[in-house]
Amino acid sequence: MTAQGADRELEGVMSAQARTAEPPLVVEHVAKSYDLDGRIMPVISDLSLILRVGEIISIVGPSGCGKTTLLNTLCGLLLPDSGHILWHGREVFGQPQNVGYMLQKDLLLPWRTALGNTMLGLEIRGVATAEAEDRGRAMLDQLGLHGFADHYPSTLSGGMRQRVALARTLVNEPDVLLLDEPFASLDFQSKLLIENDTVGLVRQGRRSLLLITHDIEEAVSLADRVIVLSKRPTKVKAVYDIELGSERTDMMAVRENPGFSHYVRSIWADLDVVRQ
Amino acid sequence: MTAEIETAMAPTTKSPVETARPFAARRWKRLRAALTILATQLAILAAFLSLWEHATSANSVFAFMFGSPSAIAGFLGQMVRDGSVFRDTYVTGLETLLGFFVGNLFGTLIGLSLWYSRFVSRVVEPFIIALGSIPIIALAPIIIIWFGTGLVSKIAMSTLSVVIVALVTSYKGAVGVDPDQINLMRTLGASKFQIFRKLVVPASLADIFAGLKLTVGFALIGAIVGEFMSSSEGLGHAIFKAGSLYVIPKVFAALVVTIALALLLTFIVGKVERLLMPWRRQI
Repeated sequence: MTAQGADRELEGVMSAQARTAEPPLVVEHVAKSYDLDGRIMPVISDLSLILRVGEIISIVGPSGCGKTTLLNTLCGLLLPDSGHILWHGREVFGQPQNVGYMLQKDLLLPWRTALGNTMLGLEIRGVATAEAEDRGRAMLDQLGLHGFADHYPSTLSGGMRQRVALARTLVNEPDVLLLDEPFASLDFQSKLLIENDTVGLVRQGRRSLLLITHDIEEAVSLADRVIVLSKRPTKVKAVYDIELGSERTDMMAVRENPGFSHYVRSIWADLDVVRQ
Repeated sequence: MTAEIETAMAPTTKSPVETARPFAARRWKRLRAALTILATQLAILAAFLSLWEHATSANSVFAFMFGSPSAIAGFLGQMVRDGSVFRDTYVTGLETLLGFFVGNLFGTLIGLSLWYSRFVSRVVEPFIIALGSIPIIALAPIIIIWFGTGLVSKIAMSTLSVVIVALVTSYKGAVGVDPDQINLMRTLGASKFQIFRKLVVPASLADIFAGLKLTVGFALIGAIVGEFMSSSEGLGHAIFKAGSLYVIPKVFAALVVTIALALLLTFIVGKVERLLMPWRRQI
């Protein structure tokens, strides 16, 4: 291993120690509303949650319940009306550090190759090109994109593009990942495979993951905890600790666990979807 | 048993040949479609020219009013022999190119940099609309007073014909960038300048090139209008002179050269576009 690699590893150990003391994300009584032509529309009424080190939380809720608003507020792209958002125990103005953010849209830059897109965050932070390239390539390899580094996004399939987006997020070695329905537009097979890889890499790096999703099965199969949100104005309706083994990385096998369908059914009931 | 396996394997081993054939067929089909289009275009052109020739050869008033393809060809030949076509094309081409470059450079720089400040862009918006609505021809007499009757006044006319269009198209490109993409850059820790350089500028390239293709024609019109007002050479000069002498086939001959120049310049812009945006080629 190079000195640089060792340094990075040491850094990882040190920050891991720091992280055990403090949950990376604490949300306390956050409220957020929009002003629509003078009419105040409350979106989030009162929301609290704690995301611990190495923990995966899924957030599910009925359509239009303000999940995306929540995510944008957490990222510092929107300001909450009241309440506190603590990153590593501190309130942050602007964008929090070491947070990776990923949406349903892959948002790849069409003029950059898969590698160029992966390197974007490193480039922005001023990492030397040679090192950024090495790390980018390694990340793409880990996500099964070996040999596609020099392809433009327009030549890749939807699943591969989303893998590149995931590589772009993970290569920055974020402590926390905020994912907003990242796999919603993928077919079932691609989705399972990328879920497996995501969970594997998150667990392996002792990272924390907050996953916002519509897909109850996805929520249950990935998470340690599922938070069910109410309709707008949103608050926490129910919390489930998912006890299906925290080291699971096979999202197909999890579905065979008898507990799995029990969780899915309870959460479905909680969502209180009205049948027309 | 082995024979059975072999027959079962046969289709898979043959498949590369079989997949190659539809590819070749598809390529041939595409080529044939392109050739058919070209042939149809040439047929329409030939029909139009022969009808024109026929109508004008039967009637001398028609021949005077509309020229004829053979007379136009004759003038083209004469312009090539006495070398005037090269000189005129060079002069008008130079004016057009310089106006095109200067106008697009400033227009694009201003248009893109307006992205930087919402305040400034809102302040200048009505002024830009006002400037954009001025017919450039109306400015020609003033331009000649300011810049004289030489090359500079034509370049100025050409530049003015281009600059507002370039500004508006590049600004439109810059503000049309997906806000989610800007948010992503922000979460990656990008500064405003980094967002501008790594996202806004490349994302605007498509609109900028659409503007470039549009403004090739505008730059040429500006140069020719400038030559109409006062000039001693150039394609506009040739058109104007032939027109005032009622030599209509010569007007058309100069117009044919002007069209050829416009096509050439548009072709070059298209080539540069493909060179600068390689990611669009692989689709």
